[in-house]
Amino acid sequence: MSNATLERPRPRGRGAPVSAEAAPRRRRSGWWLLLAPILAFDVVLFLTPLGKLVGASFADNAYQRVLEDPLVVRALVNTLTISLASTIVTVVLGYIIAMVLWRAGNVTRVILFAVVLLPFWTGILVKNFAWAVLLQDNGIVNAFLQGIGLTGAPIPLLHNRFAVIVGMVHCLLPYAVFPIFSSLTSIDDRLGLAARSLGAREGSVFRRITLPLSMPGISAAGLLVFIISTGFFITPVVMGGPGDMMIANQIDYYARQLTDFSGAAALAVILTVMVSILVAVYQRVLKAGGQHEDN
Amino acid sequence: MTASVISAESIPGTGRAARGAIELRQVSKHYGDVVAVDELDLTVQPGEFVTLLGPSGSGKTTTMMMVAGFEDHSAGTVLIDGKPVDSLPPRDRNLGVVFQNYALFPHMSALENVEFALRMRKVPREERRQRAEEALDRVGLGKMGGRKPRQLSGGQQQRVALARALVFNPAALLLDEPMAALDKRLREQMQEEIKTLQKGLGISVLFVTHDQDEAMAMSDRIVVMRDGKIVQSGAPEEVYNHPLTDWVASFLGDTNLIPCTIVERNGEEAVVDLGGLGLAKVRDRGASGENYAVSIRPEHLKFRTRASAGNGCAATLVSSTNLGATVRHRLTAGGHELQLRELSSDRGAGIRPDEELWVGWDADKAQLLVLES
Repeated sequence: MSNATLERPRPRGRGAPVSAEAAPRRRRSGWWLLLAPILAFDVVLFLTPLGKLVGASFADNAYQRVLEDPLVVRALVNTLTISLASTIVTVVLGYIIAMVLWRAGNVTRVILFAVVLLPFWTGILVKNFAWAVLLQDNGIVNAFLQGIGLTGAPIPLLHNRFAVIVGMVHCLLPYAVFPIFSSLTSIDDRLGLAARSLGAREGSVFRRITLPLSMPGISAAGLLVFIISTGFFITPVVMGGPGDMMIANQIDYYARQLTDFSGAAALAVILTVMVSILVAVYQRVLKAGGQHEDN
Repeated sequence: MTASVISAESIPGTGRAARGAIELRQVSKHYGDVVAVDELDLTVQPGEFVTLLGPSGSGKTTTMMMVAGFEDHSAGTVLIDGKPVDSLPPRDRNLGVVFQNYALFPHMSALENVEFALRMRKVPREERRQRAEEALDRVGLGKMGGRKPRQLSGGQQQRVALARALVFNPAALLLDEPMAALDKRLREQMQEEIKTLQKGLGISVLFVTHDQDEAMAMSDRIVVMRDGKIVQSGAPEEVYNHPLTDWVASFLGDTNLIPCTIVERNGEEAVVDLGGLGLAKVRDRGASGENYAVSIRPEHLKFRTRASAGNGCAATLVSSTNLGATVRHRLTAGGHELQLRELSSDRGAGIRPDEELWVGWDADKAQLLVLES
């Protein structure tokens, strides 16, 4: 599609090598002025502090110091495993919700959208404490389980890893639902009809048509959710136990309890680099696995 | 009971030719208060090419969707090869469907698209591949199997869609405006190819289109639909030359409609009063209504000399437009505006500069019809 527009004859600059992306647009001088505000904003409020942070992280042998701290190593491992688990659960649940939204009638769809968006409009503390109330020993969930005689004593549902993942998934769901929903709606309905006319059952239609064609949405959702997951701070505190602290909690600990700012900076850089590497690997894998989805 | 176990269908070869009958009995489709299809009766004989022709909203696509099983009908029965299929899902109806934009699976290669139906039928890998390749060969795309749909041109995508719909030997083929997205030249080529393929396979086809040229070119029978009802059905020439209503006449091409009153009807012929154009003998198919008109196609009007026999009248030439192969003349005659079309190569034949301009037509080319609008 985009190739066709690129191949239109260009009236000028015939011999000059023009990059493919810039070619179809006519250049006007002063276009960069439009970028100036956001550029200034980014330089002053993002790049400068980031530079300072990276600079600070190299002081006082900070990297060696934090990496020798067993609590930091544990927090790093926690961050990766909790984020990964939350991402998988979120994407699976998000996919199911997106499917329901996709297939729902107009009224149901509006109501469901509101329900999905609700976590967006609620503060994370409110959400987490609400879950804490639900999951505590004398909370609704335990009361229900005991009421129907499934257990005699309360099951520990709070202050453990399960609770952290529940709290995070609840916050993350909208980030998974919307990319997946939009990739589902871009699938031509007639593909399903065609598959059925060719002998496919509902299961085959999903496995061979819907699922592969919604992969772009799934991968976008996975990426987004994972990146957001790695920065969770409040949920491990409110819902986790001492063994569920994540890297953000360690940064907080270094900065506020130990007032070791170079250590905190080093942790922040480690987290950023780690996530960047994982994202790069993820995209490489996606590119190799899903070549049919290059647009 | 025992005798019917071996039917024509179970004998290879003989069964093939007898398959593919589609029958609709009193089929209706309502969407709330809206009647999309109204008590439709329609039969497609084995091996027949039947076209549902109508403007958008005439119910033709809905009808096809009900045959395919994508839409439930509100009333009536659909039969395929004599068996009711009302409760069968699309996958068990064994019909090949080609959609308007082909609906090829974009993430599969052409070959995988064609293989899909065989995969669903659990055909072993080797046989599956072989049959899919044969099907692609049949539509002239033997070497394109590895390409993804978006790497194929519109015409090639159309052929893949055809191969995909035919590879599992369906009872019949349903085509929903399959050429709407192609340019004129390619469309004409594909029309011929589809027709050849259909004849070669002896498969029955239910074809849906709003393009009357396409319907004329391909069909054994045209079923003209309007507002969910069949308004006329018959062989292409029959429907074109002998429309029953002014709506059918205009939908199937240009025509001259001259309001008339009936003087005398007897069987196939009628004598009508064309007002300013006088009395004329015309064809009569027995259509009845309140108001009548006579339809004469522009190519059936001829310049003539006054002396020659048959229907005719004096006319004045208003304008002439060269359309390439043909020339269109606008005339007035007896208070009516008329169109006359002749081949460019015959331009002006029959015109005598020294005489009054006179146009005429053969009685069997003028059709009495009901004026609806």
